[in-house]
Amino acid sequence: MPETLLSVRDLDMSFGGVQALSQVSFAVPAGRITAVIGPNGAGKTTAINCISGVYRPRGGRVVFNGHTINGQAPHVLARQGLTRTFQNLQVFANLSVLENVMVGLHAVTGRGFVSAMLRLPAQRAEERRIRQQAREALEFLGLQDSASLPAGQLSYGDRKRVELARALVAKPKLVLLDEPVAGLNPAETEDMGQALLAVRQQGVTLVLVEHDMSLVMRVSDQVVVLHFGRKIAQGDPQSIQRHPEVLRTYLGGRDEPIPGLDMDPAPPQEAARA
Amino acid sequence: MSGWEQLSQYVMSGLTTGSIYALAALGFCLIYNATHIVNFAQGDFISLGGLMMYTLLGAAGLPALLALPLAVAVVAGLGVMLEALAIRRAKSRDLTVLIFITVAASALFRGVFKEIWGKQALAVPPLSPDVPLRFLGATLTPQNLWILAITLAAIAVLIYFFNHTLTGRAVRAVAINPKAAALMGIDTRRMVRLSFALAGGLGALAGAIITPITTASYHVGVMMGLKGFAAAVLGGYGNFLGAIVGGLTLGLLESLGAGALSSAYKDVIAFVVLLLVLFIRPRGLLGRGEEARV
Amino acid sequence: MNREGRAFWWQLAALAAAVACAPLMVGNPYHLNVLNVMALNVLVVTGLNLLIGFAGNISLGHAAFYGLGAYISGILTSTHGWDPWLAMLAAACVVALVALLIGIPTLRLAGNYLVMATLGFNLIVTILILQLDEFTGGPSGFSGIPPLKIMGHSLASDQDFYWLAWTTALLGLLLARNLADSRVGRGLRALHDSPVAAAAVGVPTAAYKVQVFVLSAIYASVAGSLYAHYFGIVSPTTFDIFASVELVTMCLVGGMGNLWGGFFGAAFLTPLPLVLHVFEEYKDIFFGGILLLLLIFQPQGLAGLWARVRGARAARAGEGA
Repeated sequence: MPETLLSVRDLDMSFGGVQALSQVSFAVPAGRITAVIGPNGAGKTTAINCISGVYRPRGGRVVFNGHTINGQAPHVLARQGLTRTFQNLQVFANLSVLENVMVGLHAVTGRGFVSAMLRLPAQRAEERRIRQQAREALEFLGLQDSASLPAGQLSYGDRKRVELARALVAKPKLVLLDEPVAGLNPAETEDMGQALLAVRQQGVTLVLVEHDMSLVMRVSDQVVVLHFGRKIAQGDPQSIQRHPEVLRTYLGGRDEPIPGLDMDPAPPQEAARA
Repeated sequence: MSGWEQLSQYVMSGLTTGSIYALAALGFCLIYNATHIVNFAQGDFISLGGLMMYTLLGAAGLPALLALPLAVAVVAGLGVMLEALAIRRAKSRDLTVLIFITVAASALFRGVFKEIWGKQALAVPPLSPDVPLRFLGATLTPQNLWILAITLAAIAVLIYFFNHTLTGRAVRAVAINPKAAALMGIDTRRMVRLSFALAGGLGALAGAIITPITTASYHVGVMMGLKGFAAAVLGGYGNFLGAIVGGLTLGLLESLGAGALSSAYKDVIAFVVLLLVLFIRPRGLLGRGEEARV
Repeated sequence: MNREGRAFWWQLAALAAAVACAPLMVGNPYHLNVLNVMALNVLVVTGLNLLIGFAGNISLGHAAFYGLGAYISGILTSTHGWDPWLAMLAAACVVALVALLIGIPTLRLAGNYLVMATLGFNLIVTILILQLDEFTGGPSGFSGIPPLKIMGHSLASDQDFYWLAWTTALLGLLLARNLADSRVGRGLRALHDSPVAAAAVGVPTAAYKVQVFVLSAIYASVAGSLYAHYFGIVSPTTFDIFASVELVTMCLVGGMGNLWGGFFGAAFLTPLPLVLHVFEEYKDIFFGGILLLLLIFQPQGLAGLWARVRGARAARAGEGA
């Protein structure tokens, strides 16, 4: 078993009296793909937001790379090698595709206002390196031809890939992916699955929240199942598919959840109505 | 004058100006809740209210009972025009752009008022003859009482409107969740327009009742509007009760502060309070904190 | 270097050439004076544009920073006998500190609290300038400010100041452009588009917003110091809240988020009320009306209009080929 890169212990989170997460614990092994699944309103995105520093959890601990990171700002976590993508696309629409990915290197570069304004030699060297690495990341995801287009003009699928490239370019230790294939067509989903496996090959640890079960079962090493803010199961894909409680509450009996309609962290009854 | 009498005098004058700030702050809240726009033309609504009263009451000689509703209606109309001709037509939905449309409209209004009414200060007749009254040791004019009474009446009408009429509840629904309100069949555009009309009407009311004391001019409402804005921030921006509490608190602070320190710095107080609130408690006295959402 | 980068150099070179030729064509010293004021406005608005266009925050207090620069420079040189250059530096430091104090508490919050705080700040500064007449001269203004000197040569004349003002303005544009096209600049533009995503890849969003706010205040302060030493007299109305609105108007009219926006806005709006005296009377209608129409129908400003015209022409050329 590889060492643990991220561990979540007894995580609690609530919004205005609605318990979005209660006592959720799981460990993410380094270099593997962990999927977090669950019906709408299960608390998946809330978990990602708590880990990535967008929310400060009400209780419990998030330990990343040996350090407790509760309440640390997202940009600080990015410098430690933890980054993420978003469920509702968050590309920088007014920046070019290349620039989007260049911003992804922010955490591992350091030149500030003064050296930027004065174009000091060290800044120019850093700028060349940023451009070079960003181009490589674009090529890795097959986006090199749209490098100079404004990111807002790309197709939905390409914008998803820009987000992934932006998250990967700084060679982070851990990337949290919030529904990487939601809204993609089958061919794009297939490409994204390939890309995720290639990323895993490079030694990057991935945690993904996803509704697409075939993708989850194909790429993940470990699956964590949330339901109403609680963890109900954890294990490898095969055992999860046979897990009685998972079958009862999630996979069995009900229709497939509709991707992209996740109302997380809305209260469960509202999500059910939607 | 004894210390008690002096204090009483400060409190009464603080409540009088505080009422005006409260009315202005309510206007800010109405438009903010409907659109998230900070309406910098609110002060010009106040100016126009006073200027209309000058023309209708003083120059045209209409009775106050007719002049006041007419002034309110005209300014409410200006509010609707601002929404329909500028805000609604804007190509961009960027809040910065929309807020600056109100800044631009404010400058334009001010310029137009200056052309129509000139630069000089204009005397507006009080609502009833000026005989000094004594009340709890303070000397008051009937206009002070009119201000307090009309402000209270306006607040009572607003409370009734928002709690007991279908339209008022619809305005509140739009403020809480415009999308859900639209899905429930509420005409959100109409409610937004109504909010601008109400904000205009409240501004007019404030201008109409304060200008007999301050005199009217093309820019008389600018400073009152800005202080109303500070009052709204103090109370918790967008919170109706907060607007009233913030307005009265600010009026009292200003009056007592000017009494205790120096009247030269009276105008500073409101804005120092504004900065302190933003630095220390940006959600104001009664506002609730918001959780960041992704 | 990319295409946009090369284009910038051509545009800057063209502007520098125009600046160099302008005095030869302008016979009337009053017109030179207008061009000098224009240069100062270009400087302030370029700084403001960094804040509005790249960080997405609006300041209604830049006239106060402009005024603080002018008054601090004036008081230090005239009352305390400081060297003007040193006074300018000191003013910039004080203004930077003030901006820092305003920016830190307000810019960490989501939403545009900065516009409220700077608005209050500008009002306070104006009232203080009026009331502290012992130091500031009060409503009648502060006079007797000495001109700047370079190696003993006084820059008091319109002609001499012209070179200084425009060199500073062009330098301000160049530095702003360097910033915009850099790691920090991309971070700023990114946080304008999506603050959460920018933070997720390591952009310290709050710190950047504060820094760019301070930087834009320094631009205003430097312009204010130049103003004081050029005119020799400063008065409170030049720096009141309406002046702040005019500065933001220039920025929005020119085109927020576009480097040339500050130049276009200042170049378009500075001369009109100064050259055509009828506009003095209708200034509010004029500024308000123009801003209103532009914001409604052309929110990208003049620079956006220019880009659109160019784009349309390029498209036509492309069809023809």
